[in-house]
Parts: sequence; C-alpha cells; structure tokens
Amino acid sequence: MNKFLRTLIPADIAKGLSVTGKHFSQVFFTANRRKVPFHIVSEYPEVPAKVQPRFRGRLTLLKDEQGEIKCVCCLACEKICPTQVITIEKGKKEGRKMPFPVRYDFEMERCIFCEFCVESCGFDSIILNHQFELAAYNREDFSLGTEGLGQNMFELSPTGKFSVADD
Amino acid sequence: MFKNEEMEINLGPQHPSTHGVLRVKLRLDGETVTHCRPMIGYLHRGVEKICENQSFFQGQVWTDRMDYCSAVANNLGWVEANEKLLGITVPRRAHYIRTLLNEFNRIASHLIWLGTHAMDIGALTVFLYAFREREDVLDINEAFCGSRLTTTAFRIGGLREDLPPGFEKLVHKFLAKFSSCLEEYENLLTENRIWKKRTVGVARLSAEDAIALGVTGPMLRAAGVAYDIRKAFPYAAYAEMDFEVPTRTEADTYARYQVRMAEMRQSARIIQQCMDGMPEGPVMAKLPKILRSEVNEVYHATESPKGEIGYYLVGEKGSLNPYRFHVRAPGFINLQSLPKMAEGGLIADVVAAIGSLDIVLGEIDR
Ligand code: SF4
Ligand code: SF4
Repeated sequence: MNKFLRTLIPADIAKGLSVTGKHFSQVFFTANRRKVPFHIVSEYPEVPAKVQPRFRGRLTLLKDEQGEIKCVCCLACEKICPTQVITIEKGKKEGRKMPFPVRYDFEMERCIFCEFCVESCGFDSIILNHQFELAAYNREDFSLGTEGLGQNMFELSPTGKFSVADD
Repeated sequence: MFKNEEMEINLGPQHPSTHGVLRVKLRLDGETVTHCRPMIGYLHRGVEKICENQSFFQGQVWTDRMDYCSAVANNLGWVEANEKLLGITVPRRAHYIRTLLNEFNRIASHLIWLGTHAMDIGALTVFLYAFREREDVLDINEAFCGSRLTTTAFRIGGLREDLPPGFEKLVHKFLAKFSSCLEEYENLLTENRIWKKRTVGVARLSAEDAIALGVTGPMLRAAGVAYDIRKAFPYAAYAEMDFEVPTRTEADTYARYQVRMAEMRQSARIIQQCMDGMPEGPVMAKLPKILRSEVNEVYHATESPKGEIGYYLVGEKGSLNPYRFHVRAPGFINLQSLPKMAEGGLIADVVAAIGSLDIVLGEIDR
C-alpha cells in the first residue's frame, strides 16, 4: 500500500524540482536588483575575467629602471624547464658588465606554465604575467623572443589576432 | 527469421560517457552483455619513461597530467615518494597545508564524478550544481598556486610559498555553504526514483572480487571494506585528523554514490580541522643544492580520490633522476573490475558501471 502511494505521489521528484525552482526564482525575481547577484555566470568576453594574484600566465622578461634586460644568462631557467622551451644565447653588450642575452627564445606552444623557471631565477628577471588568452592561428605566433613586434617577451601578447605574419 | 546470434559492438573510444578515450568491446546477446573487455592505451604519453629522463624536481609536472581531475593528490604522492627517496623531512605546517589542499582536491574530484556520472545516467541538472562548487575549489587552487587544473602545487621538501593573504576567507566562505550544497545534490538524487532505478543493484562488485582484483578507493569501501590509506598508513597530517571512513555493504552503484557523498562531508571536516589547527613555522625544509637519491628504492602509496595511487621509484644511490619510475594508478586497476560488473547485465548498465568507477583515462594510459 505504502509503495503504491509512493508511486502515485511523486514526492521525490517534487523535492528535486523544488531545488531547481528555488534557484530559478532567486535569479528570476532579483535580476538586476541585488548588489550581489544570485547568478554566478560571468559574461566573460565582455566583462574581463579576474584572476588571482598568483596566476601563472605567459613568461615575461623584465627590464630594470634603465631599460636594460635584467637577465644575466645564468641558464638556470633553461636547465630547469621540464619541456625545454627556453633557449638562451649568451653575449656581450657595450657598457654592461654582466652577460647579456643576445637571444632569449621562448616557444610558448610547449610551455606548460609551471613557473619552475621563475622559481629558479636568482636574479628576479622573469615572471609569469596574468595573461591567459594566448590562442593563435599559426605556430610561428608562439615563438617569442627579445625582438619583433607583437611577439616579444616584454609586453603582453596581442589578443584577438589572426596572425603576426599577416601584418 | 531472426538468428540467435551474438553481436559484437564497440563502446567508445569517442563515446561521451566513457570519460575520455576508453573503448569497451562488448558482445551482446540481445540487450544482455555476455562479454566485456576494456581496451586502453589511446592516451599513452609515456609519462613513466619521461620522468626517468628528468630530474626529481621536474617530474612533478607530469603527475599533474596523469589524473587531471585530482592533480593535487597526484602531486602529493609524487613529492612524498621523492622525500622518502631523498631522505627529506618536511615541516609540520607544510604537511597541514598539503592535507588541506588534498582534501579540497578530493571534493573537486568527487564533484566532477557526481556531475558526469549523473549526466551519463540522465540527471543533467546535478552537473550544473556540482560544477558551481567545483569552480570555488579551483579558485582556491588558483589562489594558492596560480593554476586551476594542472596545479604543480607542492615542492619536494615542502611548499613553494605559504598560504596567500585572504586564503582563510576563501576557505571559510566555501565551508559555510558547502553542506547546504551537498543537501541540494542529495535532494536532487538520493530519493529520485529514476536515479534509484538506474543505480540500485546495478553493477555489483562483491568485496571478495574487489579485493581479488586489487580494487581500492570508494569502490572497495562501497563493498564494505573500510580500507583507507589515510587511516591505515597515515601520511601528511592525516594521523592528527579526526575523520571517519564511510562504508556501505550493498556494493552497487548506489552504494558508491552514497560513499562518495559521505566522503565529501568528511573532507569538509578535515579541512575545518586543518584550518583550526594550522601550526606556525616554515613551509620549506632545508634542501641540498642538487637533489640526489639517498636510498635505492621506495614505494609510497597515498589515497587519491580514486583509490590507492602508489609511486614506485628506483634511484641508484647518488643519482640525479629516477632509474625506474612506476605508477600504480588506481583507475587502471579499478578498470579491471568492469567485466565482472558488466557481464550478465544490460548494455545500458555498462554506462552506469563505467561512471561509478570514476576513471580518468589520462591516468590509466599514462
Ligand atoms: S613555465 Fe615551465 S614550461 Fe614554461 S618556460 Fe617556465 S619552466 Fe618552462
Ligand atoms: S634564470 Fe633568470 S638570469 Fe638566469 S638565464 Fe634565466 S632569466 Fe636569465
């Protein structure tokens, strides 16, 4: 008898529906009226996504106050990188005591954003920035270096681009 | 007119409910499965071999990519196995933070399981609710180590950095709402007649079979065996934590659901205890400049959300990288029980069985 009643009255389904209904009404009746909205979806491309301060984005070379590259070519980052995406060529520059990276190549497509390079650098000359929109159409767009427009390692990568080669 | 013949079909490898690239070869007699063989290897990357060619420090990034739903738990096993091999003692605060993040990871992994498993069986709603909370856990991961999924959270010898400012607030905000969220999922599922029809008594795996096949984790606990490495061989700070090991005796899909739900509650409890009893002090041990192995071989097992994940490392004394590295992946071993569960049942229940295994193919194929 009990079983029959339970089959007849769908209390279990109603329980589930009440959860859905509760959330629906919360969002529906308070839309645009509450300071902290109930709905949790963000309108991502229109509203830029916030990341945490420690977010690991793309590798960036830093410059000091004089505009000099801080890196002194100790090659620690090249050695520690698990995917071997950093290639550094040591060189000299006029009026600079420390070695200077003639080439600092970074192949972003194989970088796994692990931050080991930043950790190994004893001179604080690289960081991972907060950029995560790094998709591109061509492989060449992922080879970054110290030179080149839109492909250097000092600024943010351009977003929404088709290809650097097109320009 | 109709010949009474068995039909052979492939489930996967591009089937959405096989959780990745698992292919299951089924032989059917009508709707009944008479023969079932999982075929694996589609996601093989050679993680074990790669790690043998890298230093102890670098190997951790590969463990992220084995079981990508529970990367923190994999990291924890890797760093602890290495600490054993290299003879390093870790500060107590680091142990607490590791435990804390590991339990968050267990919640995230179980939520993924809940969402996808329910979706496979037909309850699409739960997926959205489960991923809402998982998002918060990923935010906590991001606040701590900067990455959401492939965390590389720990370092051999401790942690890279201490907890970030504002971390407690994130944790308390999560804990405050999590129990009501769990109630929401249970309202949606526990008594739902469709859910019960699809799970109660489906894909049974008795305790004897589970032990014989080496099945661990919630699968084993749903068969009534209270084996949890956190209790049996405590690691990190689990010896100081007060928690229960939930078990069920029915050994079916529904029991596994109940066990995992109860485990999430226990995880929240452990997180609370970690936050309350967090000791002060350094988070990193003093390390030699170059990591060289101290002993010849170690096996270290930890309880990942899926079961026992064991790292077996052979390092000749003084070597810079492991000579041999092997992972005892819980998913790989649990998957062996699929024929036992599926044979004799209906083909629709194979999906429920795969879902209740909670497999991640990245870890099975490595
Ligand atoms: S973040 Fe990791 S993978 Fe990327 S360059 Fe640095 S060390 Fe290499
Ligand atoms: S570790 Fe730092 S200083 Fe050394 S080569 Fe790399 S970026 Fe330059």
